[in-house]
Amino acid sequence: MNLFGLMETSGSAMQAERMRAEVVATNMANAETTRTASGRPYRRQMVVFAANQGDSGFATSLSDAANQNIARLPTPGSQGDAAAGVHIAAVVEDSAPPLKRYDPGHPDAGPDGFVSYPDINPLTEMVDLMGATRAYGLNGSAVQAEKSMISSALEIAKT
Amino acid sequence: MNMEVETRLSEQVARYMDLAASEAKLTAANMANIDTPGYQALGMDFEAEMREALSGVDDDRGPRPVHVKTVEGLIARPDGNDVSMDRESLNLAEAQLKFKTGVALLRQEYQRLMDAIHVDK
Repeated sequence: MNLFGLMETSGSAMQAERMRAEVVATNMANAETTRTASGRPYRRQMVVFAANQGDSGFATSLSDAANQNIARLPTPGSQGDAAAGVHIAAVVEDSAPPLKRYDPGHPDAGPDGFVSYPDINPLTEMVDLMGATRAYGLNGSAVQAEKSMISSALEIAKT
Repeated sequence: MNMEVETRLSEQVARYMDLAASEAKLTAANMANIDTPGYQALGMDFEAEMREALSGVDDDRGPRPVHVKTVEGLIARPDGNDVSMDRESLNLAEAQLKFKTGVALLRQEYQRLMDAIHVDK
């Protein structure tokens, strides 16, 4: 049984949650951005999480063969698949239309005098940030628990 | 007389620790996917697996992969995810305690062996 695989699982979640927090920070930083590389106002971005379905890479296959596949954790239905961790499948743009504000003096104002601002609600972003922080903390404490399991396993050898 | 370092008890405790680690692994996977839409919490029947493992020790069979199944009866959030932070935290604490119990038992078993080796001292 590979105890270090546990840490990889929790580590992948911490990585994904930090990425989520970064995207939230980008959204908040660009709440007033009217001009991006594409020429449009900034659009709110969101992350999409997807569960890892155990890769079939060489290293996994080799270790499977070496361990006679006893250490792998199968997902329901398909045996031998690792249900380990999470990854960010995509970062998608919000399709909500931009907010129009009347400001004819603005350099990005349209011919009608309206400026398109990104539709970013600080409240939504803060809630998302809080969720990311909590999930990060949860997986952080899981890593602590895993570390203590590994170090207690080392105690067996001490007499 | 045939002297074995690996006793039946130490083998049983090893299987117990394997299962505790499997449980921790499942819990960690659930925790990692706490925000994944549509993810369903995975779990295992520890008692049933332990019974199977104990009969495996008696019949000299190697460890088998555990039967993982989705946990029934959890309340799913609107995005279809039914992982509960509290449930998983408790499960992880439980798995950790089980593992540490296994460590303590195994240490005691090896200590017994060491005592037998050093019996003339």
